[in-house]
Amino acid sequence: MSTVLEQIEQQIAKLSSKAVKKNTGNIRTVADGVAKIDGLSDVMYNEMVQFPGGAIGIALNLEEDEVGCVILGDVSQLKEGDEVTTTGKLLSVPVGKALLGRTVDALGQPVDGKGPIDSKETYPVEKIAPGIIVRKSVSQPLFTGIMAIDSMIPIGRGQRELIIGDRGTGKTTITIDTIINQAKINKVGLASGDKNFRPVYSIYVAIGQKNSNVVRTISALEAAGALEFTVIVAAPAGDNPANQYLAPYSGAAIGEWFMENGMDALIVYDDLSKHAVAYRQISLILKRPSGREAYPGDVFYLHSRLLERAARLDGKGSLTALPIIETLAGDVSAYIPTNVISITDGQIFLETDLFNQGIRPAVSVGLSVSRVGSAAQIKATKQVGGKLKGELAQFRELAAFAQFGSDLDAKTKAQLDRGSRIVELFKQPAFAPLPIELQVAVLFAMQKGFFDPVDIKKIADAAASLKNFFTTRKDPLLAEVRTKAALDKDLEAKLLAACEEWKSSYAA
Amino acid sequence: MASHAKVAQKFARQLFAMSVVDGTVSADRVAGVLEYVEKHNVPNPVMVLKAYERLVSIELAKGVAVVEHAGAISAATLAAIESAMSKKYGRAVKARAESNPALLAGMRVHVGDDTYESSVAGQLAALGASV
Repeated sequence: MSTVLEQIEQQIAKLSSKAVKKNTGNIRTVADGVAKIDGLSDVMYNEMVQFPGGAIGIALNLEEDEVGCVILGDVSQLKEGDEVTTTGKLLSVPVGKALLGRTVDALGQPVDGKGPIDSKETYPVEKIAPGIIVRKSVSQPLFTGIMAIDSMIPIGRGQRELIIGDRGTGKTTITIDTIINQAKINKVGLASGDKNFRPVYSIYVAIGQKNSNVVRTISALEAAGALEFTVIVAAPAGDNPANQYLAPYSGAAIGEWFMENGMDALIVYDDLSKHAVAYRQISLILKRPSGREAYPGDVFYLHSRLLERAARLDGKGSLTALPIIETLAGDVSAYIPTNVISITDGQIFLETDLFNQGIRPAVSVGLSVSRVGSAAQIKATKQVGGKLKGELAQFRELAAFAQFGSDLDAKTKAQLDRGSRIVELFKQPAFAPLPIELQVAVLFAMQKGFFDPVDIKKIADAAASLKNFFTTRKDPLLAEVRTKAALDKDLEAKLLAACEEWKSSYAA
Repeated sequence: MASHAKVAQKFARQLFAMSVVDGTVSADRVAGVLEYVEKHNVPNPVMVLKAYERLVSIELAKGVAVVEHAGAISAATLAAIESAMSKKYGRAVKARAESNPALLAGMRVHVGDDTYESSVAGQLAALGASV
């Protein structure tokens, strides 16, 4: 018996005295959130390294005799000569449904003061995007709740649609509206008990934004009841550039968990211009060669590898990406905007002039496009809004032409009149997304000429009245449009009758 | 300034490459390099020699196992470490003992930039980090 105990004791002794091998290095220089380290001969690219005091870093530059690391966390305690250790791990973030309703930093740590996140899984921040074979073409719609977008520039699940425009043109508002709309659809869908219903979870990544803006976004989502379906990843302007550089990848990892587990997710990168600036800062400090506008040579890959992670997977879920780019003086041909335009599957261009004229959302129909097109639209929207984009584009051309003379033929006048009505109809307040069935009803009324007798200045009022009429008195009809998702003769007749009823009540 | 440093670094690497014979730094070659730098008009000699010294010290550290220990350590243990490390790295590794009471018990061995931790202080630190 004693021999057995001796054996166990020997084993314990062997285990407890087992040496642990670590690969170490020493800080040579530390400045601007970047450390140059001697040693670390075994370090891998993108590997996490441990600094004294709990700070971690990522090895980004593996040079012949030194390693360049960006430091995530407090650098004030670090000094020359401090020991740095490899961890053998790639940077990972917690993922899963436990993150819904929470605000986390670029490392997935909660920053909302609501306690720790009970997440059992982690995903690597950097991951190779899904290949060709596992992907499926985009064909399921993702409704933004914005009539101008859903009817003319439809977005599908798994698509990458860029939102681009100058500062203060309503880029963030469009994405928040979209998130709120997903939450509304989720609530209706989950309440209906439909087994085929697929909720869309949202991830909002704030990069280099003011903390006050992030707070405002969270408040807007909370007020609309959308926060419970949303994860906020915040790397505000006060965070170091390394965190701002990593935040979109962390958000993508969180979104990938939903996609890999058969769910649909939407991710908003707000915004990638600031992300590119953060990366430029890191690259310049790491002394990487700079190119156009001082951006490093791999700035295209920075965004392409991020946006390629948005996909619709065969037999699994999808990840839809809405990256935002801020332009300067409407210049879409600048370096970063052209890069991201070429990577994405379309763009929604917002114009300052339209915004100032009160046309909100200020979507420029001519410059906006969705390369997925009507494949991501339900049949009902195609039926009522198929020709809208052409009509509106024609209107803009005619309106510009009409400024030079007053003698217009009747046909042109009619086209201008109709165009003005469409523009009025597409005006929508912020944080008030419209359900798709209501959009169909409004567009149907417009196509059938129910707004023609209404004075242009009163179109918004009439549209509000129509929406109110349908939601309060024709809810079963709206439900039928929602479930059928296409207008057959019977449904068209019912919609026509309802519009007639509204017309008589509105005129009265 | 930056380009001077790069040129000096590159030259130091060339000098270092000449100083290595059969995978180890040769004292004769190092003496030869120092003589060359002294006699010839090498630009930025201080910068070159500092970079050269750094490369040589990194290389020399790979051949020395610094054994930090708390308490006494026997010659047999040092010999065992020497033999194990020489086998592991495929080169002659000399053990050098350095007393470090802060380890509390056990030892810590450094070879180049690898560290083998089996001290009580190290285990406590790892435990502290994992909590």
